[in-house]
Amino acid sequence: MTSQEPPIALGGVAPKPRWSLRVAAAAATAILVIGVLAVKLAQLQVTDGTHLAALALANSVRHVVLEADRGIIYDRHGAALVQNSPVWSIAVVPAGLPSDARDRTKELIELAHLSGVPEGTLATELLAAPDLFAPVTVKANLAQADELAVSERLPDLPGASITQRSVRTYVDPMVFGHVLGYVGPIDGLQIRQLKAVGYQPDEMVGKVGVEAGLESLLRGMDGWADVEVDARGQVVKVLAARAPVAGDAVYLSLDAGLQKATAVSLAAGLTRDNKLAGASVVIDPSSGEVLAMVSLPGYDTNLFTHGISRADYDRLLKDPEKPLLNRAIAGQYAPGSTFKMVTATAGLQEGKITAQTLLSCPPYINVNGWIYHNWASYSLGWMNVAKALATSCDTFFYQVASMVGDVTLARYARAFGFGQAKGIEMPGVMPGLVPDRIWKQLECGVPDLNSDACRWTEGDTITFGIGQSYLLTTPLNQAVYVAAVANGGRVLRPTLVHFVRDPAGQLMSRQQTEVTGTVPASADNIQAVREGMREEINRPYNMNYWFRAAGVPADGGGKTGTAQWGGSGLDLPTHAWFVFFAPYAQPEIALSVFVERGELSEVEAAPIGVDIMKFYRSNLGSIRA
Amino acid sequence: MSRLDRLQPLVAFMLATLGVMTVFSARADWVRQVIWVLLGASVYVAAALFDYRRLRPIAPALYGGMLLLLVAVRLVGHSALGARRWLAVAGFPLEPSELSKLLLVVVLAAYLSRQERVSWRTFGGALGMVAAPAALVISQPDLGTTLVLLAVALGILFLAGARPVQLASVVVVAITAVPLLPHLLYGYQRRRLEIFLDPAQDPLGAGYSLLQARIAVGSGGLFGRGWLHGLQGQLGFVPERATDFVFATFAEEFGLLGSLVLLTLFGVLLVRLLRTATVASDRFGELLAGGTFCVVLVQVVENVGMNIGLLPIAGIPLPLISYGGSATITTFAALGLVQSVMLRRRRVAHQERLPSLGTITRRAQA
Repeated sequence: MTSQEPPIALGGVAPKPRWSLRVAAAAATAILVIGVLAVKLAQLQVTDGTHLAALALANSVRHVVLEADRGIIYDRHGAALVQNSPVWSIAVVPAGLPSDARDRTKELIELAHLSGVPEGTLATELLAAPDLFAPVTVKANLAQADELAVSERLPDLPGASITQRSVRTYVDPMVFGHVLGYVGPIDGLQIRQLKAVGYQPDEMVGKVGVEAGLESLLRGMDGWADVEVDARGQVVKVLAARAPVAGDAVYLSLDAGLQKATAVSLAAGLTRDNKLAGASVVIDPSSGEVLAMVSLPGYDTNLFTHGISRADYDRLLKDPEKPLLNRAIAGQYAPGSTFKMVTATAGLQEGKITAQTLLSCPPYINVNGWIYHNWASYSLGWMNVAKALATSCDTFFYQVASMVGDVTLARYARAFGFGQAKGIEMPGVMPGLVPDRIWKQLECGVPDLNSDACRWTEGDTITFGIGQSYLLTTPLNQAVYVAAVANGGRVLRPTLVHFVRDPAGQLMSRQQTEVTGTVPASADNIQAVREGMREEINRPYNMNYWFRAAGVPADGGGKTGTAQWGGSGLDLPTHAWFVFFAPYAQPEIALSVFVERGELSEVEAAPIGVDIMKFYRSNLGSIRA
Repeated sequence: MSRLDRLQPLVAFMLATLGVMTVFSARADWVRQVIWVLLGASVYVAAALFDYRRLRPIAPALYGGMLLLLVAVRLVGHSALGARRWLAVAGFPLEPSELSKLLLVVVLAAYLSRQERVSWRTFGGALGMVAAPAALVISQPDLGTTLVLLAVALGILFLAGARPVQLASVVVVAITAVPLLPHLLYGYQRRRLEIFLDPAQDPLGAGYSLLQARIAVGSGGLFGRGWLHGLQGQLGFVPERATDFVFATFAEEFGLLGSLVLLTLFGVLLVRLLRTATVASDRFGELLAGGTFCVVLVQVVENVGMNIGLLPIAGIPLPLISYGGSATITTFAALGLVQSVMLRRRRVAHQERLPSLGTITRRAQA
């Protein structure tokens, strides 16, 4: 017990250890606490083992969706009308933040500075995240300059990362916007049906226009990857993956140049006459391909894909000119005098008149005590059907409609495609309306055959004959209709798709011409109607003026119409129409022009059509290339 | 060499081997750890050859040196993870608080071996000796090591024969002091204490560590995921996976069976240390072995306990397993000193009075 004791004495026999009470108690304590640890270990590793192993797996294995590039939309010659442009966002994996509170606060301050999001907001967002390992997007839609700044700082910001995503950026949205439409997040109504075909709740989907109509082609197929990530969210290895397949490239039937010219001509025409809204559709009467489709006013579809503000959205919704309405397919208006070719065809084909039959054109006719006026307050004399079309004599067509009868007239209207929603590649196409006596009865609610509100009257029939009554059409229907007159009676399905290529550039499908119906009229009879349309645009001091002024040969056929709307009576507001096809012999284009609240179709609508035609003629080579 | 305790270094070497394997798996600098283990082994041999009794006279100097180191770390230390704990010595980081665990054992053993009994005066003196280093360590701030120092002191006092009423009085004082403690600390120190007591307050710090360690341990299951095949440890979900939470890394890869083997090895080591205490030739050697037992036991219990969610989180290494030079070498040095006690134990016919244990004479059986 003292340091004087002898040093090491090697050899000898080991003494028996003397376990005192305290040393024994210490040993017992050690064994006991180690035993307690062992019991707790057994509970964790055996009883809770499966559960905790699942949590470990959930920590480290993540299912990542690999977004497919959405298909690009081109015009018929391959000019891109939309791009997938990259946008960046800052994401933070909360678990990747420094575990030390002061370092963490420092990083949050830095992130707040970089993202512009207040530090307090960041802290609550990140610290209260339900899954500490899932990235939280703290700032979306980073500008490119900010992206560079953040990327530079990233190495010093554990847990933070920059994610890239592509958004649709549309070329010239005011011109192509209504046709292309836009994509947006899936809304509550869509999600149920789209989930069944594999959509993610946060996916973008075509909302309107061909973006919506061709969704299945454009979307492509998202890929996925099961990746193992470390605690900082970095991918360590890919366990299984399927590569995304990009969407198909769609070549629209539109000619970008003609589309722009149509928009410019329409806008110029509207401005000239202080009008605010209108539409025009140009189609190929031999194939049904839509070469141009414009509805004004347009709107900036890029606002929707790049994050529209509440104020901008409200402004669009509340605008009295309804810029979100694609009038070309969804605006329903009375066709007015542009309908007279249907009445003429019916009269000729049903044998009520011939091409040579002369009827009078008085300033008005009296039907059962009701007076129905012509546009002229004087008699235009006797005339055949071609002259009646050329002069647009209302009283002539009142008589023809009366002879044909409403049921037959409705049959011919339907044969020309009135009242049918065209199967074009976008949603929201409206059918228009072909009225008849049954429709009127159903429409009036309480069937009372003695009331004029329910009973079809002779007045309904004769105004039906000049495209009024309850008849409604759309600019698209009008274009298909005038194309049918132009091509001798074939009603085509209008289409916006020229052809489709898969991501590898392989041609998938070329659009086939689809005839949805044939007008039950002889070639001679249709020829007589065409003749009337040719005469109309060749009338001196009238329509012919515009062609001469524009230097465009008046080769083709046209018809104007000033349709009353908003009830019945004399001084009703009107819409102006012009339908046209050219050339006369072998028609290449058919078009409709609509001017909302237009007062004089010859002055307001027709020059727009002539302007479009002028562009078409002078750019024939590139359009038809 | 039959005086040599062969089992003790064998178990220590097995533990150190498991330690290097786990450190390797935890992607820490395993080469350094191997160097430290080898250095530790040399220190062990040197300490075993060194006559431990020569430490007694220099105990006051050792005590002074320990305080000096702890003061130095306050003044010129390096900080990491929010605490100032390291001193750079010839380019190597030295953690004086690790060294202080061993030095405290030596100093207390020397102090308590002067008397046969533990009077109130001696008891108070011993506590006073602990108070100074404890105060310096807690100000780093390192609450965990402070508690280890206090627990080790109480353990040595118990083995030295302190009366139950003396030990109980410390516990009573501690319980009354705990509510006062937060008021004595400044800002983040207080915050750290609060988090220490309630990890859920800090979901990305201590609460996160606690949860991830639990997941790692649990996902090991019965047989473990296999060496180098842990998910939580390999992918870094377990924070401090090579140091404070090295046990979670180990338990994930080696499972319950491996963990029980590890605990059994510690159990054998601890019993061997106590056995040395029972054969020591003097009270100093006895308390030295007993104190080393306390140091190892307290650290194993705290480290494993916090890894499996039984005890609050504190930066305490698992002896011989955790990555770290100061801790590894210090532990080997302590075990070497115990071996020195073993080598210089009572001779067969030696007679000795051990008043504290109440035994007068005992003869070794041939």
